[in-house]
Amino acid sequence: MARYGDLITPNVPRRGVVQGALGLAAGLAMTGCSSAGSGAKPQAALPLPARRLRLVPMRVSPDQLIDVKCCLRPLRAAGPNLGTEMVGDTLVVHNYGHGGSGWSLSWGSAEVAVGKALSVLPKEVAVVGCGIIGLTTAIVAQRAGLKVTIYARDLLPRTRSFRASGSFTPDSRIALTDPAGAAFGDLWEQMTRLSWKTFRTYLGLPGNPVEFSDSYQVSDQPIERRKWPRDPAITDSWATKGLPQQNSEFAHYNDRIKDIVPQPVDLAAAENPFPTAYAQRSSQMHFNFASYSHLLLSEFFERGGRYVMRSFHEPTEYGQLPEKVVINAVGFAARDLWLDKTVIPVRGQTGWLVPRFEANYGVRYKNISLLSKADGVVVMNTNPDIGDMLGVGDSLELPRKDDILDGLAIMAPLFARGMEA
Amino acid sequence: MTFTSLRPLAALLALAAIGSAPAREKSTRQGVYSDGQAEAGAQLYAVRCAMCHGRNLEGSYEIPALRGKFVANWSGSPVADLFIYLARAMPQFAPGSLSPTDNARIVAFLLKANGMPAGASPLPSGEAELRKIAFAPSGPAK
Repeated sequence: MARYGDLITPNVPRRGVVQGALGLAAGLAMTGCSSAGSGAKPQAALPLPARRLRLVPMRVSPDQLIDVKCCLRPLRAAGPNLGTEMVGDTLVVHNYGHGGSGWSLSWGSAEVAVGKALSVLPKEVAVVGCGIIGLTTAIVAQRAGLKVTIYARDLLPRTRSFRASGSFTPDSRIALTDPAGAAFGDLWEQMTRLSWKTFRTYLGLPGNPVEFSDSYQVSDQPIERRKWPRDPAITDSWATKGLPQQNSEFAHYNDRIKDIVPQPVDLAAAENPFPTAYAQRSSQMHFNFASYSHLLLSEFFERGGRYVMRSFHEPTEYGQLPEKVVINAVGFAARDLWLDKTVIPVRGQTGWLVPRFEANYGVRYKNISLLSKADGVVVMNTNPDIGDMLGVGDSLELPRKDDILDGLAIMAPLFARGMEA
Repeated sequence: MTFTSLRPLAALLALAAIGSAPAREKSTRQGVYSDGQAEAGAQLYAVRCAMCHGRNLEGSYEIPALRGKFVANWSGSPVADLFIYLARAMPQFAPGSLSPTDNARIVAFLLKANGMPAGASPLPSGEAELRKIAFAPSGPAK
């Protein structure tokens, strides 16, 4: 099993390098701005009209760091388990193993699971687990007219789901291409499109449970979409080792939904609000945990939902529940509770800075991303040279604050100058 | 009373026995582990468990405490259930790495830390024997 230390290579450039690169980039950006303003010889790729956007700088100093959260994404090579099985006289419908895509796929996946539960015409169902999948599934079952009891150790705010970054990322570590097979792509698209439509019904509500913001990718080099060709030197794979061995094994389906999900556009130097030579902007949907979970829990209880605090430890316990249809939405816990050894932990962590409403955007530079949300500015430090393999097989679920502090140091020069120009 | 008239009662008793949980021979209220074993368990806990569950078993916002709710979650089951779960699932970063002897030591420590009394003999590490012991809290938390 790969360990965290084996996978992480510290990727912190020396300060002099960062400043040097940024200094050069800032010079370029200023040149672009002044030539646009004076009508002097324009830069070759300058679109009309080019106007530098003013952004309020983020505050990326260590004193702003208020939380570091770590969690395990439940990756299954074949994609989420949406199968059914009997435990005694109880029908168990599975809905777990959504990798880094649980929030994004929640509504579509719930639709599939509840559809299977409805096929035996129950009047009431149990849902085990109250992460984003469990709670959403419970509500979808209620909207279908069922009486629902959630059995879980904790409600949503204390589950692993709450330790995600909360962005719409529907194909993040959702499956491996070969074991998932071609059919899963179709199911994924169906679930993603249904989720996208449902999230749109939450846009603009008080507290912004779901919202869009601009997200910038900025760089000192031209920005290209990273590709991961198969490395022929690596002969092992998930099929031989039970864990993916390289990035090319991971499935990606986002191209299927390009027609609805905004794609990045290049910014001309004069439009770039950051002191870097290159920038792209895209519109990113994200979930604000506090208001969104409040809405879900309110709907669940208003519809007469019942919550029972209970911790399960083995499958036979499902057969002891009074409800004879049980939807199993326990996420990563399926490894130890349902004895599903195909659940692969993929460790991830987020740092959280003091909320900064007036800086309502996201930015990615080098290996660091920031995203301003209602409950804080999310900081992630993800080595692009490791890609999807980062954290694979690592189930040590403790935060490493230093990685976040390193990230803040990398981002600080972006906001030190140039933004107010 | 004739022999025949007892039959319905016997049938009823048999049904009741089938319908209820199997009786445990003893419970954790009766001193099912030794102090020495719990002490060894405390040392193991400090190395293998405390990094996540906390030095005082307090847990965190994210990680379950091994007091309070923990007792409620396991009560009524045989100690074997807890033992088997730990053997399979813990420590989370290296599941399945505890030897049965060490696992029994850690369970003994958890019983002691939750106010269940020590006895003369150590807690066994065999599943069949552990199945006879009910996990039962010894009273309100102090």
